[in-house]
Amino acid sequence: MDTPILHDKARDLWVVPVRHHSPVCAAHLERLIAEVRPAAILVEGPCDFDPLITSLCDPRTRAPVAIVSLREAGEGQRLRRAASYFPFCAHSPELVALTAATAAGTPARFIDLPSTAREWRGESEERPDRSLLGSEQGFTVGDYVTALARELGCRDGNEVWDQLFETRLAEDYWQGFFADVAQYCACIRGASDPADMAADGTLAREEQMRRIITAARGEVEGPIIAVVGGFHAGAIFAEDPGKPIAAKPGAGRSYLICYGMRQLDALRGYGAGLPLPGYYQRVWEARGDGLAGLATDLVTGFAAHLRAGKGETPPFPVIANAIEQAERLASLRRRPFPTRDDLIDAVRSSFIKDEIPEAGAPLLAELHAWLTGTALGEVPPGTGSPPLVEAVRTQARALGYSTEDGERRTRELDIYRKPRHRAASRFAHAMTLVGTTFADRTGGPDFRNDVGLDRLHEVWAVCWSPLVEARLIELSEAADTLPEALAFVLAERIAALSEQGKGRNALAAIDLFAAACRAGLGREAEAILGLIEEQVIEDPELPSVIAALADLILLRRGRDTLGIEDVAPLDRLTQTAWRRMVLLLPELADQGQDQVAGAVQALADLRGVVELAKSSAAPVDLALVDTAMAELLERPLEPMIEGAITAFALMGGQIAADVLETRLRGELASGYVDPRARLAFLGGVIMIARELLWTLPAILDALDDVITGLDEAQFTELLPYLRLALMPLDPREVDRLAEDVAARAGAAPGSLRIDIGIPQSEFAENLALDRELAEVLARDGVA
Amino acid sequence: MDNDTPAIRPPAEARYAAELARLAAEDNAPKPDGWHLSPRAVRKFLLGDAKAGVNRKFYGDDPLVDRAIVSLMSHQGLMLVGEPGTAKSLLSELLAAAISGTSGLVVQGSAGTTEDHIRYGWNYALLLAEGPSERALVPSPVLNAMRSGRIVRFEEITRCPPEVQDALISILSEKALALPELGPDAVASAAPGFNVIATANLRDRGVHEMSSALKRRFNFETVHPIADPEFERELVLKQLAERLGPAGVTVAGEREVAEVLVRTFQDLRTGRTAEGASLNRPDAVMSTAEAVNVMHAAALEAAYLDNGRLSAAHVARQLQGVVLKDSPEDGKRLRAYVDHIVKERAGRSGAWKDFYQAARALKLG
Repeated sequence: MDTPILHDKARDLWVVPVRHHSPVCAAHLERLIAEVRPAAILVEGPCDFDPLITSLCDPRTRAPVAIVSLREAGEGQRLRRAASYFPFCAHSPELVALTAATAAGTPARFIDLPSTAREWRGESEERPDRSLLGSEQGFTVGDYVTALARELGCRDGNEVWDQLFETRLAEDYWQGFFADVAQYCACIRGASDPADMAADGTLAREEQMRRIITAARGEVEGPIIAVVGGFHAGAIFAEDPGKPIAAKPGAGRSYLICYGMRQLDALRGYGAGLPLPGYYQRVWEARGDGLAGLATDLVTGFAAHLRAGKGETPPFPVIANAIEQAERLASLRRRPFPTRDDLIDAVRSSFIKDEIPEAGAPLLAELHAWLTGTALGEVPPGTGSPPLVEAVRTQARALGYSTEDGERRTRELDIYRKPRHRAASRFAHAMTLVGTTFADRTGGPDFRNDVGLDRLHEVWAVCWSPLVEARLIELSEAADTLPEALAFVLAERIAALSEQGKGRNALAAIDLFAAACRAGLGREAEAILGLIEEQVIEDPELPSVIAALADLILLRRGRDTLGIEDVAPLDRLTQTAWRRMVLLLPELADQGQDQVAGAVQALADLRGVVELAKSSAAPVDLALVDTAMAELLERPLEPMIEGAITAFALMGGQIAADVLETRLRGELASGYVDPRARLAFLGGVIMIARELLWTLPAILDALDDVITGLDEAQFTELLPYLRLALMPLDPREVDRLAEDVAARAGAAPGSLRIDIGIPQSEFAENLALDRELAEVLARDGVA
Repeated sequence: MDNDTPAIRPPAEARYAAELARLAAEDNAPKPDGWHLSPRAVRKFLLGDAKAGVNRKFYGDDPLVDRAIVSLMSHQGLMLVGEPGTAKSLLSELLAAAISGTSGLVVQGSAGTTEDHIRYGWNYALLLAEGPSERALVPSPVLNAMRSGRIVRFEEITRCPPEVQDALISILSEKALALPELGPDAVASAAPGFNVIATANLRDRGVHEMSSALKRRFNFETVHPIADPEFERELVLKQLAERLGPAGVTVAGEREVAEVLVRTFQDLRTGRTAEGASLNRPDAVMSTAEAVNVMHAAALEAAYLDNGRLSAAHVARQLQGVVLKDSPEDGKRLRAYVDHIVKERAGRSGAWKDFYQAARALKLG
């Protein structure tokens, strides 16, 4: 055999095949390093990460952590984007190797292509959470692994790995262990398509590894250890004097961040690492004390988790049976201790006393989540994470938010009475505004819909996660503190708003203003008011100006909730918008047929705004609207708009009731060809002020007169449009109107309502019977 | 009983007597008390072992078999639940045969099952003549299993009224049954090796729910239909051969036809075709066992009433009987499947074309 399997004696080079996040590989690697005493340790991983090794191995660093690398800023972007992650957990062989090197003062370095290399991008370019761990798909898919699983009675490649290797944690003979891993990986590689390896960058990466190893061989005396994914092990023994590819200076930047078990598990989507890292973490921690108690620890641990989290207490016999089950399954499957699948099988048999649907049971999902773990790692201050991340983390902790784990928690904030809660609320709003996923407001005062303004509490769902840190790292190029980051983001958003077609979107600007105020940026946010003003001044559409006005008045009303300290600029803006609205009002006279409905709706909204302005004492000149309406009435208008404006004028007191009545009678009796047109005026009146139907009897009088003058055919023709005109009424209002009409016709108010007292269906049957009887009677000439 | 007449279907321990004997001879792993084979040998018996010359008998879910074996070693009973026709009874028969050497201790659950079927009854002639005595006592299969340390099978447990089911509770927890008629201290204690395998049908849910006290004494295993079409096809063909072989019937062309049949069953069972189209699932049971029945009937038709060449048309004609069992709506659902999905496939292969033409002629309402 040409290629050495583990140790190339001639070059004194050990190539150690590992699987990412495998405790058994980590444990044997520890033994190997202790025995070989290497002069240098080389680890698979982007070579531009070398400067972070010191931080990574700092005794205060607690795994899981990850190195995040930022991609070059794209065209027109000011910030680099977090592009990819290289995660480590406590039982990562890579981390164990680097830690051992640091402890012994042995030089250590990464030997893979730089994180900015084209080969890393592949098809996952667009994913924000790309992994820089090499793919380990060969361990889980492919004919070789499938056949092996069938042979061994395992359900998948991961169980095969557990069966063949993870069970050997307590062995001492690391030579035999790694020789077997190498053999296994060589078989997997043998079953892989070389074309794929070229396409996904594997071959290019291996060339880089060979070159860096060759270079390192020239630099140090004594044994060298290279820790690489088992898949590559056989391919990197060969000498290669070529020049390794170095990172482009300034192209990318990388930081060490806290990482989470959950994210670690999620990265498996790329085929790297073992599933359910929380399980392996426990195995790793228990390795010293032997693994005899593993099943007991895990099952009772899960039971305690259910008790604490869900308030469910599994009965003792169930727990005892599950432990027994796990141990017996392990023994049946010839394993020295229960592996992941044994444990899951045991819980499945013992805990769930019912059918398990194919989609899975909630309890099993809970078990998966628990075995995944929620722990977050820790990166000590001043060791590779940028100042912004540290500042925000400190601030979060000071405000009582947990940054210890990735658990989602609910926090209720008493925002008016407790200053600390108010600060916590501002922090949460600020984190939302800068674009992190830290906080999600699930309840509290809502200015936009004018509801709950008197509510005292805000409810937030908060979760500190690596994604939060990743976003902060992106921002760290622009800011060192949260207020700076806020100012930066706000400026960006304002710039974006002013670029997106001017005068188009005052509403988005108002939302941004409210968000900024809530984040405690009242002063800085005033710049947005200028923007809104620009947009309102140039807005040619009456409906959108009215909508903006409604929002502005609501904003003013909710000023305490929003934390707006100085209301004067807002007042000025409201007045500007008000004037703009008054300026646009005369245009209603020139509306085309197709714009009538929109114009009437805008007028209806305007009436709402006027009421809102009155009730909240907004500093606007209400008389301006009245004058504009009066002037409009002088001009020829579409009947529906005229009806709406007449009603408006009547409400404002510019015209008397009889003016409306005369106009209405004229319209109803008019000679329009289309009967719809005859009712348009009434429709306009009802859209603006339907209460006139019962407060102004003249309207009904007029209707009554017109309808009684119609013959059956004319009435039938008019009826659908009459109904259409009355559509805006709600059922209560319809009842009320009907009673008025009944009283007018001399009927008792209650006589209109038929209380049937029998079920609908029976009533319908009776009606049918009635009809049938009538027919029979008619046929027989008895009717 | 006359032992010379061959049984239509001998019990598992008779059918696989040679395999069981081989496994027992080679079995040197430790056995739980009362077990005829070690757990590993039981596993081999069910899942097959080429080296020992043992065929696979249960398909689709190997970890389930492991869990079932381990549950039977514990204090808990084993409850197999699942859709009809998912080989629950077969699994319980094989487990009982391998572990206890007999699969014949069975209580068949039905509305008429009484406590006597679970505890014991009396030979009334002897009871009147001698009074209560061991001789007059007629033990139930459960009591027999307790005394001999074997596995008793309780089929379709949810078909019994709950109060009858609950007679099992004390037997499972105490592993003993009081026999008060034989004296104040008369107790039948279960010998090591005793356990219960119950099966319950999900379609019967709501007929009789199980009490939670009873549920707690079982470990539940859900047996799902086989998801892998290739696997299911192999299984159907294998079982077809097992049925046709003894009758000396041979047909041709069964592989292609089995593919059409299994595809159809999988589509109707899951409500989604391999191409990703959705369809309405019939209420009727579309199990592998039903598929075998359809193949069997179609093969007999081909062999005896036709030229001996099995075609998809034979299968299509048998499908009507399967699908129209439960609800008339199912006919419409099958019609829609034929009109849209099968028609599409008919253009691509001869077998699907045969299937389509025959299925269109069916009266499906």
